[in-house]
Parts: sequence; C-alpha cells; structure tokens
Amino acid sequence: MSTAISRTKNRTEKPTPGGRRSARPDRAAWGFVLPFVALFLFTFVLPLGYAVYQSLLKPVRSGSLGLGPATVGFAGLDNYSLALQQSAFLESFARVLLFGIVQIPVMLLLATALALALDTLSHRWAGVLRAAYFLPYGVPGVIASILWGFLYVPGVSPIVDLLGRIGLAPDFLGYDSVLWSIANIVIWEFAGYNMLVIVAQLKAIPQELHEAARIDGASAWQTALRIKLPLARPALVLTGVFSIIGTLQLFAEPLVIKPLTSTVTSSYTPNLSAYNEAFANNNIYLAAAESVILALVASVLSFGFLSLVNRRKGRDAR
Amino acid sequence: MNTSPPSRRSVLRWGAGAAAALTGAPALTACGQTVGAARTTRQEPTRPGQKVRLVFWTWVPMQKTVDLWNRTHPDIHVELQNIPANVQGGYQKMHASLTAGNPPDLAQVEYHELPGFMLVNGLTDLSAYGADELRDSYVPWQWNQGVFGGRVRTIPQASGPMGLFYRKDLFEKWGIETPATWAEFEQAARVVKARGGGARLCTFAPNQPPWFAAMCWQRGARWIRTQGDTWVVAMDDDFSREVADYWAKMVRDDLVFIGPDMSSAWYRQVQTGQIAAWVGPQWGDALLRGNAPGTKGKWRVAPLPQWTRGENASANWGGSSTAVLQGSRHPREALQFAHWVNTDPKAVDLNISVGYGWPAATGIFRGSALDKPDPFFGGQRYNDVFTASDRAIDTSWKWSPTTDADFAQLGDAFGAAMAGDGTLASSLADAQKSTVDNLLAKGLKARSA
Repeated sequence: MSTAISRTKNRTEKPTPGGRRSARPDRAAWGFVLPFVALFLFTFVLPLGYAVYQSLLKPVRSGSLGLGPATVGFAGLDNYSLALQQSAFLESFARVLLFGIVQIPVMLLLATALALALDTLSHRWAGVLRAAYFLPYGVPGVIASILWGFLYVPGVSPIVDLLGRIGLAPDFLGYDSVLWSIANIVIWEFAGYNMLVIVAQLKAIPQELHEAARIDGASAWQTALRIKLPLARPALVLTGVFSIIGTLQLFAEPLVIKPLTSTVTSSYTPNLSAYNEAFANNNIYLAAAESVILALVASVLSFGFLSLVNRRKGRDAR
Repeated sequence: MNTSPPSRRSVLRWGAGAAAALTGAPALTACGQTVGAARTTRQEPTRPGQKVRLVFWTWVPMQKTVDLWNRTHPDIHVELQNIPANVQGGYQKMHASLTAGNPPDLAQVEYHELPGFMLVNGLTDLSAYGADELRDSYVPWQWNQGVFGGRVRTIPQASGPMGLFYRKDLFEKWGIETPATWAEFEQAARVVKARGGGARLCTFAPNQPPWFAAMCWQRGARWIRTQGDTWVVAMDDDFSREVADYWAKMVRDDLVFIGPDMSSAWYRQVQTGQIAAWVGPQWGDALLRGNAPGTKGKWRVAPLPQWTRGENASANWGGSSTAVLQGSRHPREALQFAHWVNTDPKAVDLNISVGYGWPAATGIFRGSALDKPDPFFGGQRYNDVFTASDRAIDTSWKWSPTTDADFAQLGDAFGAAMAGDGTLASSLADAQKSTVDNLLAKGLKARSA
C-alpha cells in the first residue's frame, strides 16, 4: 500500500526527462535484458559459483599409502588457509602489484601522450600512425611473448648481440630484470589499444571548446592540459581499471617466457600459481580457492580505484 | 521505490545471490562422490567378427608402429592420437578425460607420473586381465615401476639410463682425458675454462630437477620412501647435499654455464661447441642428432663419472609406460596391444627410430636398431655404454604422487639460488618441506625423514 503511494508520488513529482513512459515496462525490458542475463548466468555466474563450490571441497583418501579409491569431502575453508600459507602464492601478489605500480602508469602515460600527439596531427598521418600504434594489439599475447622471447635470449637475439658488441651485456632474463622485460611486452601489446580508447574520447570533445580556447589565446600545450586531459578523464579511468584487472591476471607472457629462463617460477603470478595447482599438481580444489582469492583481490582493487577517482571527481565538481 | 527496469547493480546483486544458492545446494551431495576417474574399466563382450576399436594417446610419433599393428591385427583397430608432451598439456588432457568419463583406452604415462595417476584411480588393474604372465618379458625394475599393491597397473615402454655425451674433438684439442670420476670432471671443467676461449664444459640447468634427481639417485639418495601408509620425504639427505654442494662449487667457480637446457639458447651452445659435454640420458642421442646435425661424428659417449674411482653406479632420467586408462571398454585387447608395441622386435625398431627411449623389454637390444655403430658418434657402438649403465641403476628409487609439483618447486628454488637467493643445498631443504606439504594437500599421510 505504502509502496503504491510512494510510487505514484514519485511519478508525479519527478517525470523522467524522456517524457511519458509506459506504466508497465517490465516485460519488454526483461525481453531485452534476457539475452544478457542468460549469457551472464551461464558464462559468468555459473562458473564462478562452481569455482566457489569446488574451493570448499577436498579429497578423502583411503587404502594403502592413500592410493586406494578416494571420495570428495567438505573442506570448509581449508583450501583458503592453505593457499594463504603458501609464501610463493603471496609473493606472486606482491610481484604483480609491483608490476602494476610501475607498468600501468608508464603505459597510460605513453598512451595518453600518443593520443594527444595524434589528436593535433593532420588527418592523413594521424590515421596511418593510429593504425600502426594499434597494430601490436592485433598480435595475440602468446605470439607477442614468443617474438619478444627471441629478442631477449642471448645467443639468438640480435639486440643482445648488438649491445654486447658495444660493451654492454644486458641480461633481459635475469632475476631482477625479467619482470620488466615482461612489462615491456605488455606495454608493447596494450599501449596502442589504450591510446585508441583515449583518442575516441578526445574526438568526442565538442569543437566549440577548441574554438573557444583558440579565441582565448590558449596554446596547443594549454589546450591539451586544460581542455583535452580533463575531458578525457572517463577514458583514462576506464583504461586504468582494465589495466589493473589485466595486471592481476597476468598469465600468457610469463608462461611463454618461463622455458627461456629459470627466473620465472611456476607461481610467478597468481594466475600461473592457480594454473599449476590445477594442471601440474592436479589439485583443482586448491586451484579454485586461489582463483577465488584472485577474483576478490581484483574486484577490491578495481572498485577501490573507481571509488577513489569518483570521490575525487565529486570533490573537484564542488 | 520505482518500477524502472532492473539496474545493472541489482542484476549483479541477483547474480551473486544465485551463485550463493547454486554453491549451497550441491555441497550437500558432494560428500561420498569419488575423486578422479568417472568410469571404471569393464570388458565389453564382442560378437564374433566384430572389429574392436582402441584409441591410443601418445606424444611419440608412433604412427608407423600403429600402422604395422593394424595391418597384422585385422580384428583390433588402434587409432593413434598425438597429444602434447607430458606436463605441456598431455597429462592435463588425460586427467580431464578421466574426470569426464571418456578416456582413451591407452595412453603414454611416464614412470614418475604413475603414482599421481593412482591417486585419481586412473589406471586399469591389469592383473585382472592376465598381465602378471607377461612379467618375464620385461626388465624387472621397469616392470615394478607399474606395480602397486601387488597389482600390475601399466606396461613398461622404455627408460633413460644416464651417460656422458662429450665432444671428442674438443677434448683432444684442449688435452682433456675422458673423466672417470666427478673430481676429474671438475678438473676437465677447469681446463675448458682456461683453454676454451669462453667455452665451458657443460651447462647447469636449474630448470631440470629430473636431471638433478638422477644425479642424487646415482650418489645413493632415496628421495621418497614409504613407511606403513606414510610417505617419507628425504630430499635433504647427506647424499643429495653432497651433489648440491658439488654443483654449487662448479657454479661459484664459473666452470659451467647457467641456463635452461633443451632451450634455444642451450641448443645454440651445443651447435657452436660452446659446451663440450652433456651429462644426459640415452634418449638424448636423438636430441643431439636432431638439433645439432653439424656436429655429426664429433660426439662420443662415456660412462657416467663416478663418485669413487672404480665404482659402477648409474641412474635413470625419464622413462615411459603404456597404460590402459581407467574406463576402457576393451582392456583385454588394449593389454594385448600394449604388450605387443613394447616387445615385438619390428615394433620396437620402429619405435626406436622416433625417439622412444631405452626398451623395457628384455633381450630386445641385441640385433635391434640400437645395436650398431653410429656415424653421429664417430662409428662408436655407443649404446653398449648405455647397456652397462642400465644394469648399474639402483632400482629401489621411488616416486611421489606429487612429482610434478615437487619438481616445479625445486626448479623455482634452484632458479632463485642461481640469482643469489639461497643455495642449492637450501633449495633441497625447502623442496623437502614443500613436497611434504604437497602430499598433505592431497589428503595423504606424509612426513620429512
């Protein structure tokens, strides 16, 4: 009853800007939403739920040396405590965080600089360069890592060879350097993609603003800093969130580089650790727990980042 | 309250609720469900004249052998399916098929992997189909790799006795005698460093714990023992530490290269004579031949260097079996094929030509493709060395059911040690602890020695 009253009240007091709307939009809306909901359920919620379910199980052994038939039992949070006790798994989080703190700003700075430069260039060259910068994104991560791997391996790489001739002996696959060699691959792959997202946002800036800036005597630098950058903010936030998630899920690059060097461990990143638990150690229950922990950390970090930038935006608006 | 269509947020919330509901319900039915193989092996009756079809998964290109079988056995057709090698995807595929209940009838499984397959009930009990009668056809220790609780679980295929591959031309150029002991091996390494112009005797590969295990095996270590129902792990024993300290000294004195073996960088060192020796398994002959054809005629094989002069201790690296996976509907026919493929002289010769290893069948060596002078090794009958090596292997060595994970962790620790974080010996202590953890995580009883 009270709901009905408040409903009517709402409707009379706050008409939607779009004008009159149907009193019963539900059925049509559900029709439109259904394909999404179905896909969301079957490709996201169900696998997620299954992973959570598996993370709560453990095998119960029997027979001589435990090699007899085994059954599945309820583990409670055992797998989670086991995962959190593995120092290699915890170190993998520290590693990707360090990676992200360095790699994401470098990549986004590069992408932003490229986007701003392309935005000021004449149209003909802009198109060619845009395509050129975007091209690495079209190369699958595994292939990119194989290509770069060849450029890192001494004895095979022309770069190492050339640098060796001028007296430098870089070790791209060393204990301290291999993380940054992987960062380089990721930047090469994704800087162009992020640039394109930012370029699209810059294109959406109304022409009047540029005109007004010109009339007011703003230089190209001032236009970039005062007009373009603030208005490109949504794109920067979006690429930031994507990059945070991508960094935490780092997998293909270290997996491909691993056979080339003993400095990439089997649990180098959280994803690699879960993969090894599932497929090398054949312990899907522990792997599920590790995956769930990774998903939790990824959502905390992405939503944390979003609320941080949104709060700041609110403050700026005031 | 308003009646606007469900917002993204509420859909998400609803999804989370559904996920919680889904996870709650089946948990009640989980307990009692079996782990691993979803289907158990059962012999299906065949009508007279019916053609039985078997599927065989392996990463050794054995098509010619299978063709020979299909020509000579019209009643039983074997279909060969090539899969990725071992941990690079092959075992993942097998485990997935066991869990799904649609495994192939036959599959290649390495010796050190067999206990892990037992954990998921992945191997057919072949004793139930008369496999015990075949025992005498095989080298006893290889046969015993596949016997668990007195029941035969797989048919042995081949092993990898160790030896010393070396470049005779380079040894002569630098005035090096073939080392018979590890002390002489170290001396040889010092000579190569002094006279080799940047070359080294060999490479220490931190990524290759199976190789390191073989080194400890030769010294007398026994990494895995069993006591009652408990797995006892002894990777950090005196023997293994001695081996670790030996190679740590080789690394510290810059007598060896450090890097992954069987990698492009390593093959390059082999091709260019940057390394003059490889402590390797018999099946390594195919790797040298295939990857460094330019060094043809320059290689020789010597017995594994000894810790005490005059001793004759060897070790094994690698080795595979032909298993009948749990869930087969034709175990009798599968067993028949597994026995034939590993003992028929024509089949074994075809297998050898594609790099299948050191045959597990007894008496097959004489007159086989292995038993002749080889131009790649300068006309040496190099397999005579491996015959002797094979006989000198202490065959009481056992594998843990978590070998893949144990090796991965040991390799990680070696890699860190090479970068100054810990030592080879401390890696062994860490690996012992993590191996016990791996076993406990599988629900097994385990302790450190």
